[in-house]
Amino acid sequence: MCRPGKLEGVDVKAVMVYLDRCYGCLTCSLACAAAHSASGTITGAMRERVPGRILVEAAGKQPVPILCRHCDDAPCVNACMIGAMQQDPVTGLVSNEGHTQACAGCWMCIMACPYGAIVQAPRGERMALKCDGCRGRETPACVMACPNGALAYVEVDDFAGERRLKLAFCLAEDMTRDSRAYGG
Amino acid sequence: MSLCVSADAGLCKFLNRRGDVETSFNRLSGQAVKCGFGLQGICCRLCSNGPCRITLKTSRGVCGATADVIVARNFLRAVAAGAACYLHVVENAANVLKNTDLPYPGEGLLDELAGRFGIGAGGSKEKAAQLAGRVLEDLYRPRGERMELVERLAFPRRFKRWEELGILPGGAKAEVFDALVKSGTNLSSDPVDMLLHCLRLGIATGIYGLTLTNHINDILAGEPEIGTVRVGFSVVDPGYINIMVIGHQQALFSALQRELETPEAVEKARQAGAKGFRIVGSTCVGQDLELRSAREHGVFAGHAGNNFTSEPLLATGGIDLVVTEFNCALPGIEDLCERFRVRQVCIDDVAKKRNAEHLPYDFGDSRAFAGKIMDAALSSYAGRRKEIAPDIPEHGFDGAVAGIGEKSLKKFLGGSYKPLIDLIAGGQIKGIAGVVGCSNLATRGHDVFTLELTRELIRRDIIVLTAGCTSGGLANLGMTVPEAAEQAGEKLKEVCKKMGIPPVLNFGPCLAIGRLETVAAEIAGMLNVDLPQLPLALSAPQWLEEQALADGAFALALGLLIHLGSSPFIEGSELVTGILTRDLEEMTGGRVLVAEDPTQAADAMESHILKKREKLGI
Repeated sequence: MCRPGKLEGVDVKAVMVYLDRCYGCLTCSLACAAAHSASGTITGAMRERVPGRILVEAAGKQPVPILCRHCDDAPCVNACMIGAMQQDPVTGLVSNEGHTQACAGCWMCIMACPYGAIVQAPRGERMALKCDGCRGRETPACVMACPNGALAYVEVDDFAGERRLKLAFCLAEDMTRDSRAYGG
Repeated sequence: MSLCVSADAGLCKFLNRRGDVETSFNRLSGQAVKCGFGLQGICCRLCSNGPCRITLKTSRGVCGATADVIVARNFLRAVAAGAACYLHVVENAANVLKNTDLPYPGEGLLDELAGRFGIGAGGSKEKAAQLAGRVLEDLYRPRGERMELVERLAFPRRFKRWEELGILPGGAKAEVFDALVKSGTNLSSDPVDMLLHCLRLGIATGIYGLTLTNHINDILAGEPEIGTVRVGFSVVDPGYINIMVIGHQQALFSALQRELETPEAVEKARQAGAKGFRIVGSTCVGQDLELRSAREHGVFAGHAGNNFTSEPLLATGGIDLVVTEFNCALPGIEDLCERFRVRQVCIDDVAKKRNAEHLPYDFGDSRAFAGKIMDAALSSYAGRRKEIAPDIPEHGFDGAVAGIGEKSLKKFLGGSYKPLIDLIAGGQIKGIAGVVGCSNLATRGHDVFTLELTRELIRRDIIVLTAGCTSGGLANLGMTVPEAAEQAGEKLKEVCKKMGIPPVLNFGPCLAIGRLETVAAEIAGMLNVDLPQLPLALSAPQWLEEQALADGAFALALGLLIHLGSSPFIEGSELVTGILTRDLEEMTGGRVLVAEDPTQAADAMESHILKKREKLGI
């Protein structure tokens, strides 16, 4: 399925992670909880026991933020028997909220998601929780909150371009060094 | 629940069998994501403009504080808090001494110190009161007045160096007080001055918090004597009423030890259905009790384990009363005490537990106080044993060598350190490593780094002296029995076998880090060199808390290399890291070495020792 944005030749923005900048401070997760709380504040969200929908796992000493990638043809959407999990045809965001069919808490989406990015709502509520892309915000709360710029809400092709350029410089540097060694 | 990660296989086996019990071992994985700002020491929450963090985008807090300022402030606050802890301990010990009547089991030491401190003639009671008074007087001096006993206790060459550097401390409590003032909001922003303040706090910690506490406890409870003991959970005998002690203040237990031994006490226990009372050692105070009862244990059952074994110890159900007086009284013991119906008594409110009865130590009437503890143990025993069946695993070792102190070691060596010096000079022992401080769970697992590093060191013929939770851990891992010599390098193994000693010498609690300093000073004195010249390196591989940092500050003032298995939250500042790990060596001779791998740490410590040997021409 192609989204209108893509048809018009405009790239889609997504939350991208610069792993080397992540300090594991969990501010992203707290800001996410705040954005999804009644109070809208971090302390309020802690009081309301609202969980963050971006999860940070420790791979040894390296903290790794994990959040929904909003895949096309998403396994969670396909797995959802009730039709609560849907991808918005315009924004491309995958969510189980705000649709006519309500989430029944069957956890099929949790089983299907290869990233483990969907979790159970707290206090035993039968409701799956996941990143909803912070609908209504220009930039997702997690990205705004990250003190180190480890999260970026960017056009994915720009991110890839930046990576390519970095690699290109590394390769060029290696080649220059090698040829000097060879020449010398 | 996740599995236990400890070098102690028996402990893990027990915890895995008791999967229904939650301890720190289960909570570790939930805290695996560490905040990088905290790790680097670059988070400041001193004012309402904050919390501020030094990030890749922002090099200063709102007030203008740089990473250097924030790191130095945080570090100074931590060292001050650690110093405060040890100073609290020596203050209480001095007050106990002041209020204790004869006889003093360590009367010889009292006379010796009275001589050194210039305390005139008089009866022992008078001498003890005056000595305690002199200690307290120093602690309470204003910051502008130098403490008097520093010069009388410090290694003379060190004292001179400290004087030259201007780091001789004023009144210890005032030094802590002003460290807090200095590191407050918009006060000092001079990282170098704050690090110098850390050294002053280190000296106050070492001379007063460590050495003088040891001396006072030796007077009150007798000096250490070498013997062999049983260690581990198997010291708990369910036939007795078992009182588990947690803390660092043996002085507060002398009266209780005496009371529990009386025939009346034994009779009371018998009427309740037990064979008598036993004190079960846990954390550093257990190590202190072990140190002074290696020959004659009396009511002391033995040392069960270090800080993070205290929760599992409660889960054995064999403990009838918990008495807390200092750290490491983990908050986690509260729920375990409720679950296993163990009554808790807190005798010093610095270690108050939510559900503990506060029964403050009575300096004036320690006997009546001991009676109250005994009654609490009796009532707890009677209530709980109907419902809880003790489940004590086979755990620990027999024949562990304990009771090693600066004097008992010297006596063992034949009255002088010369045999040890000869072994070092001759190369049979390459050098000395002090593996000291705490245990933690995060640096590779409970006692894991400590064990791996110790093994690496003894394999290289470096003898290990240990004090603190490291020694409790190493004892429970069988490293302090003479048979552990098999794990040492060929030369050290031969020395150990000939002398019948283990390659790891257990000096007891973290307070005994002060004893290691005394041993080092005696050796340096005999060689007519200064401490930094000795083939000696320290490591606090699994340092846990602020007290360890205050100990570390003492080591730096003494001019020693101190290895840490994880950074003391300073890496966010190049300046502070540079001073502590490099530049300080030119001032005091000491420096910090952070190595997160045991082999690398052992390599660095060994090369330090070899360098010192070379300079000494041995």
